[in-house]
Amino acid sequence: MSAAQSATPLRARSRLAAIREAAPHPTRWRHIVGYMLAVYRREWQGSVFSGFIEPIVVLAGLGIGLGVLVGDKAAEITGGVSYVAYIAPALMVSSAMNLATSEAAWPILARVAWVRIYHAIIATPLNAADVMVGAIAFIVGKVAFAAAFFAGVLLITGITTSPEGALGMLAVSILTAFAFGAPMAAFSVTQKSDQGFAFLFRLIITPLTFFSGTYFPIENLPFAAQVLSWCTPLAHGVALSRALALGTPLTNLGIHVAALLLWGIVGTIAAIYLFRKRMLK
Amino acid sequence: MGMTNSAPEPAALIRARGLTKVFGERTAVASIDFEVRDGEFFGFLGPNGAGKTTTMRMIAGVSPRTSGTLEIFGQDPDLHGSEIRGRIGVVHQQETLDMELSVRENLLVFGRFFGMDRAAIATRADELLELFQLSDRAKDQVEPLSGGMKRRLSIARSLIASPRILMLDEPTTGLDPQARHLLWDALQRLKRGGTTIVLTTHYMDEAEQLCDRLVVMDQAKIVAEGSPRQLIAEHASREVLELRFPNGTESIDVKVLEGIGDRYERLAERVIIGCENGEAAHARALEHGLDPESWLVRRSSLEDVFLRLTGRTLDE
Repeated sequence: MSAAQSATPLRARSRLAAIREAAPHPTRWRHIVGYMLAVYRREWQGSVFSGFIEPIVVLAGLGIGLGVLVGDKAAEITGGVSYVAYIAPALMVSSAMNLATSEAAWPILARVAWVRIYHAIIATPLNAADVMVGAIAFIVGKVAFAAAFFAGVLLITGITTSPEGALGMLAVSILTAFAFGAPMAAFSVTQKSDQGFAFLFRLIITPLTFFSGTYFPIENLPFAAQVLSWCTPLAHGVALSRALALGTPLTNLGIHVAALLLWGIVGTIAAIYLFRKRMLK
Repeated sequence: MGMTNSAPEPAALIRARGLTKVFGERTAVASIDFEVRDGEFFGFLGPNGAGKTTTMRMIAGVSPRTSGTLEIFGQDPDLHGSEIRGRIGVVHQQETLDMELSVRENLLVFGRFFGMDRAAIATRADELLELFQLSDRAKDQVEPLSGGMKRRLSIARSLIASPRILMLDEPTTGLDPQARHLLWDALQRLKRGGTTIVLTTHYMDEAEQLCDRLVVMDQAKIVAEGSPRQLIAEHASREVLELRFPNGTESIDVKVLEGIGDRYERLAERVIIGCENGEAAHARALEHGLDPESWLVRRSSLEDVFLRLTGRTLDE
């Protein structure tokens, strides 16, 4: 009966059981997605603007307004296409980033620290890992939905002409949502209030759009800024999305995809680890 | 499992031996032993910080123990947590409801976490809303509900998968007396229906009214165990005489106090005397020249048990 007497195989079995207890279950995370969908059905009106309308307003404003200003010079940067066609695939990815990070901020912090429903959920058969995997999966799914809408608008307006390109952009937006949503979730589960978010959004997330090749090529930046830029997921997402949309040759495809996946996977593991640390005291 | 436990009668659903939890320097639970039997109403009584909530968290499988053994349904929560949690309903001390969902949706969503199918959840949810008198608020959002209603919804939610054990952490803290009594009635009905209930409380009357058996916890340890009646019989005298001295009790002679009843406790403004006959003890007190501002005689309660065991009152 006592641990000291138990033979090694039993101890090994126990260790395996303990790991199984901590690891995400193959399917239980989907109930978190179901829960978030139930919440979303109640409050979708609130997020329609930020998720769906805002990116299109930005595209129209910058594409047309800035496009006129840039005028003929645009071709030098864009390699021949219109300025709006140049920034559209990048804006789609940076919108994915914005939506994924904000969805992984307040909604997660609230459930950890304010309404505390996560405390109740980990007292059900779901464990902390299931909760994090489900929360991240919902964020990625929500971004996919918004990105599909954006891609549809681009196709209808003729800004993007190739359906394959639109599908490619959608895939990149999903990867980008994963690359930002998971690390952001990891940050959120460590927070006691939302003060940290203001700092993060103002100093990192918002400026990222300008330094990741969205509006002008990364090559226009000083070398140090270029290096820094490639260390973040957005530059990789922008490069991929633009190449796929414009049909320009893709260099370093594997590196871009790997960088986005790495951010997402490491972020997910960190989120599970930090969430467990906070909840299972 | 290769082992059949020689279970005592009736079978223990929860069994702890030397259960210990240490947070850094602080020992929250210091090697406690207890058993919760099938179908009983079991209580952890003690002041805030005694280790009750930590013990509950260990049972619920959300707080790994530091040492000792703990079995729920004969299984170790560190190794079979998910399975165990599937058969336990947990009600937290602070509300953990989703404020954006409706009352009924809160139940529906939770049923899915237990792997129930939608039809079964819907039936069960309506049953619980009826049982907890929330049917007419089913479609409303949670936020505007009263404290008592929110607490009833939390309990209804914890029962969605018809758990064998219901665990409640300080279930009536912050409720008005009427809401408290309504909740007590609901819990009694559940117990009659066969649910094993474990609760923590720092309210004496709650423990006395509800619990078949309880342990008294103080400073991370169990200091007494038994039914409320047993505990009172063992650790307190039949009646209690309370004498009030608003100007303080320090000046009263020990010899005088010892002569009045079986035992006494001296508090800041009260002297509590355990005795067989409160009226007679009061008469003796006056004979000894005591001049209390007011006095009362009552039956001994768990409060007196706690006072006797720890030398302190529960709300200190």
